[in-house]
Amino acid sequence: MAEHLIHSEQEGWALATVMARRAVGPAAVGAALELELRDEPVAVSNGAIRAIGTGPGAWLVIDTEPDHGFADALQDRLEGLASVSDQSSGYAVFRLSGAGARTALQRGAAIDFHPDVFAPGSVATTAIAHIGAIVWQVDDSPTYDVAVFRSLSGSFRHWLEETAAAL
Amino acid sequence: MSRLASGGLIDRARPLRFSFDGTGYSGFEGDTLASALVANGVRIVGRSFKYHRPRGILTAGSEEPNALVTLGTGAHAEPNTRATTVSLHDGLVACSQNRWPSLHLDLLAVNQLLSPFFAAGFYYKTFMWPGKFWEKLYEPLIRRAAGLGSLSGLPDPDSYDREHGFCDLLVIGAGPAGLAAALTAGRAGVRVILADEDTRPGGRLMSERLLVDGLPAADWAASAAQELETMANVRVLSRTAVFGVYDGREYGAVERLTDHLSHAPAGAPRQRLWKIVAKRAILATGAIERPVVFGGNDRPGVTMASAVSTYINRFAALPGRRAVIFTSSDSGWTTAVDLQAAGAEVVAIVDPRDTPPSFAQVLRRNGTELLPGARVRHVAGSPVRKVEIVRADGSVLKLKADLVAMSGGWNPAIGLGSNLGHRPVWSDRLHCFLLDEAPPGLKPAGAAAGCFALADALADGVRQARDAAGDLGVACPTGAAFKTSEESARCDPLWHVPAARSKAFVDFQNDVTDADVSLAVREGFVSVEHLKRYTTLGMATDQGKTGQLNGHALLAAATGKSIAEAGTVLSRPPYQPVAIGVLAGHHRGEHFRPERRTASHNWAAGHGASFVNVGQWKRAQWYTRAGERDWLETVNREVTMTRGGVGICDVSTLGKIDVQGPDASTLLDRLYINTFSTLAVGKARYGVMLREDGFVMDDGTVTRFAEDSFYVTTTTANAGLVMQHIDFARQVIWPELDVQATSVTEQWTTYSIAGPKSRSLLQTAFPELDLSSEAMPFMGAAKFAWRGIGARIFRVSFSGELAYEVSVPALHGERLLLDLLEAGRDFGVVAYGTEALGVMRIEKGHAAGNELNGQTTAADLGLGRMMSKKKDFIGRVMARRPGLTDPARPALVGLKPVEPGVRLRAGAHLLECGKPAVAANDQGHVTSAAWSPTLDHSIALALLSHGPDRLGERVVVHDPVRGGDVEAEVCSPVFVDPEGVRMRG
Repeated sequence: MAEHLIHSEQEGWALATVMARRAVGPAAVGAALELELRDEPVAVSNGAIRAIGTGPGAWLVIDTEPDHGFADALQDRLEGLASVSDQSSGYAVFRLSGAGARTALQRGAAIDFHPDVFAPGSVATTAIAHIGAIVWQVDDSPTYDVAVFRSLSGSFRHWLEETAAAL
Repeated sequence: MSRLASGGLIDRARPLRFSFDGTGYSGFEGDTLASALVANGVRIVGRSFKYHRPRGILTAGSEEPNALVTLGTGAHAEPNTRATTVSLHDGLVACSQNRWPSLHLDLLAVNQLLSPFFAAGFYYKTFMWPGKFWEKLYEPLIRRAAGLGSLSGLPDPDSYDREHGFCDLLVIGAGPAGLAAALTAGRAGVRVILADEDTRPGGRLMSERLLVDGLPAADWAASAAQELETMANVRVLSRTAVFGVYDGREYGAVERLTDHLSHAPAGAPRQRLWKIVAKRAILATGAIERPVVFGGNDRPGVTMASAVSTYINRFAALPGRRAVIFTSSDSGWTTAVDLQAAGAEVVAIVDPRDTPPSFAQVLRRNGTELLPGARVRHVAGSPVRKVEIVRADGSVLKLKADLVAMSGGWNPAIGLGSNLGHRPVWSDRLHCFLLDEAPPGLKPAGAAAGCFALADALADGVRQARDAAGDLGVACPTGAAFKTSEESARCDPLWHVPAARSKAFVDFQNDVTDADVSLAVREGFVSVEHLKRYTTLGMATDQGKTGQLNGHALLAAATGKSIAEAGTVLSRPPYQPVAIGVLAGHHRGEHFRPERRTASHNWAAGHGASFVNVGQWKRAQWYTRAGERDWLETVNREVTMTRGGVGICDVSTLGKIDVQGPDASTLLDRLYINTFSTLAVGKARYGVMLREDGFVMDDGTVTRFAEDSFYVTTTTANAGLVMQHIDFARQVIWPELDVQATSVTEQWTTYSIAGPKSRSLLQTAFPELDLSSEAMPFMGAAKFAWRGIGARIFRVSFSGELAYEVSVPALHGERLLLDLLEAGRDFGVVAYGTEALGVMRIEKGHAAGNELNGQTTAADLGLGRMMSKKKDFIGRVMARRPGLTDPARPALVGLKPVEPGVRLRAGAHLLECGKPAVAANDQGHVTSAAWSPTLDHSIALALLSHGPDRLGERVVVHDPVRGGDVEAEVCSPVFVDPEGVRMRG
């Protein structure tokens, strides 16, 4: 029988790419953001903002209830520590949850979503249906967020709907 | 009817109706199409590929060469489906193939009479010349006469899916060894995927009357499968054929999801492609029984002995009532026992070996004549009526029979194991090829490893699973060995019975006979690979799974080699036929590849836009208005209205990269031929970058927004490439630089607002912005707020007009367009597409994709003076190579036709006037051409040898493809406003 999958597109989130300056470690960047940053593909949150590890010294920093000028404020906080680029329009973020969410992702991305391997907080930069995607697990209900370049969101939605229909 | 009254793994309470060649039949749940045809007494199911000989069902498995049918009708029709692998379902419609007008009267069977001409290599020899006849005459003729089923020609109405599997241990095949391996590893907690092509696990356990741990083998298999289903760490994939082994321990498989259902649920994919990544894999694919090569061995009713047992034991379907067994393996004798138990008469057992197995006397007591040392020489009838046997003493015995069950021994089904190039080796002990080496992580087990007897296969499955688990650091508890009934697996293969009167087939599917193999050898094709190509042995849907080794044995005999010396071929994926549709999955039609849409897409679609694909992007090419007759009229209007007033173009697809950090300007100086460290904050500069080899890579503008913050734009086509190039430079070449870069292409929507009224429009849209030339000069840039949102404005021009680019976050991109159009209403604003953009850039002589073609230098494009002599940059050294600085290199010029009405076309070649049109006289080519509505004649950009020194000279524009030579005058590439007054205005 069909497994349940709920999917929706997040609205109103602010996102920014944060890239540490050459000699600046994740701890220093994290200290400025009040986040325990690590150079690992993990998502960390302090309740206000969260950082998705996308590469060595690189994070996608997200505020789900942003104040105006989120990226500028971030840049001020990270002065001399990191480069910041606003990506609030750059990515569309889809939320997948429900019993079928894991299967749906497993049908899209060629990485292992088994709970022993990919757990809440895990992050992967991968591809789904030939679309570059940043995937992170939000909780173990399970809930996942998937960020794709906004121009590709129509194609991503098509894949998602076809996959949901086949669950 | 040939259905037995009891037994078999069929559900007699669930009868199913189906049709074959228009005749209605019935079968039961659990049947395959093949078993249902056997149960209904249907003996002839197809015609052979070349000679159109009637053929019956040879096997009961996926190796079937003969029983290929077309399933379904209309768009759902699927040709070349093996009847032995099709689960029967209610309402199934199947048709035979490769016959005309009908299965029983096939006029093309006349090919048999012509068989002397149809021998191996026939096509190569007969249709050699004249060459031009090949495409028009020979190939269509051959395709009509010889072939498999036909495609419907209609779009595939089904949908397909994919999934990615990950496991510690992949077990391929759920026969005895596979089940034993999966149970052993599964019980130890190893993460297992068990993939089996059949509808239910068991393999041969369902086909034979054996005992495992005191249970009938089929029951034991069912309970093993049940136990596996309860394990959270084990996933059982039935109806899933693993078809290929790939690098990185990846396996391809196809799961058949709805093929066995009368009515598939809505939205359900028909098949699913699996990519399985497995740390270890066990190849438990069993073995395939070998036919014997003797006269008339392809007659309907000559069947593999193991298949006869399968039809009797698994499907309660009796393939014949009066059987002759021809076997050189003990397993064939078991079939005789099965036949007798099912009430059939076994007339004789013909075994070329001298010693029958121990249970032979039971058969004799039941009236079977045992003929040790004998051979079947000839079979007649279609289906089988007569069998001609040569006894050990040379005397001939003729028997009436309707079934010949043959067994020449067993070939381990190891095709997947050679997918990565590991060549199987011959075992003199087991008379078969085995995997000596296998792909990393893969080990054969059970019959696939030559452990043919049931007890050996089960024990080997356990052993291989324990080894694999041990490699992964998991200890498997020692369990009791499986207890099985006694079984003899002796075999002494007989490769060939020389036939005099009738054809003896080696490859049933491709109609390759023993004579074809001999002919190939006589003509010098003495390697197994050449034999395959010359005779087609082992080609097509079955890839020679049954007959290929017999061919290699004949080749070995004919060349005086041993089979080990002759060797065997490698198998490549797919091991089983795979529908193209399942490989495509969702990616078909308009979803063939992902599509990128800009923020103005919906507005454009609603305003007459035609879209052009630029990479994955959809770009508005032009916006047709009511009453316009063709695209040229539309484009001319867009250009004229822009140059005469103001136009807006969505240029969001250009690549955009934030380059930041203390060393950002240093990096940019090394990437571009010109200098950016001197660029003032709030200014933009055009830049060109080279590849390492000195040729132009890309161009664009760079804007400095802060000492340590630059905004780089690239062409649409090279956006990804330049991002990679920058990352490579900063991460690999100069990791000591403190510079960060990230793509912001998707963040910003950018519109170009061009034309003499562009400033007025923007002033209306952004009244608080100072757009005077003092505040916003040519190549100036600024950040500003629009509707409380951070926006950017750049005074840059591609069209040559007074022009600006305005960028806002893409979420607000459509809103900005509506604002700009509203502000421009009184100025007669027009939206223009990429075609008008292209016309205007050609009018201005700007190089674009056609000129940045990977073969041009900066100097070729008239940009040589931009190359800084004061600094180093990527490509600088290689750009000084003599070949790249040769003044004779074709360089950018403009062309205008001598006769104004004549059209110039891109791709045409340039010749000196009066010179013959031969390659030696080629002086360059037209790279871009357009109709200039501004000048009212055709214009072109071209790369011409010594071009800039030849202004005013006439050349011939030679266009042999589209016809006609046109005379043109060489001119400056800047056709409109060469002083640049307009854009600086």
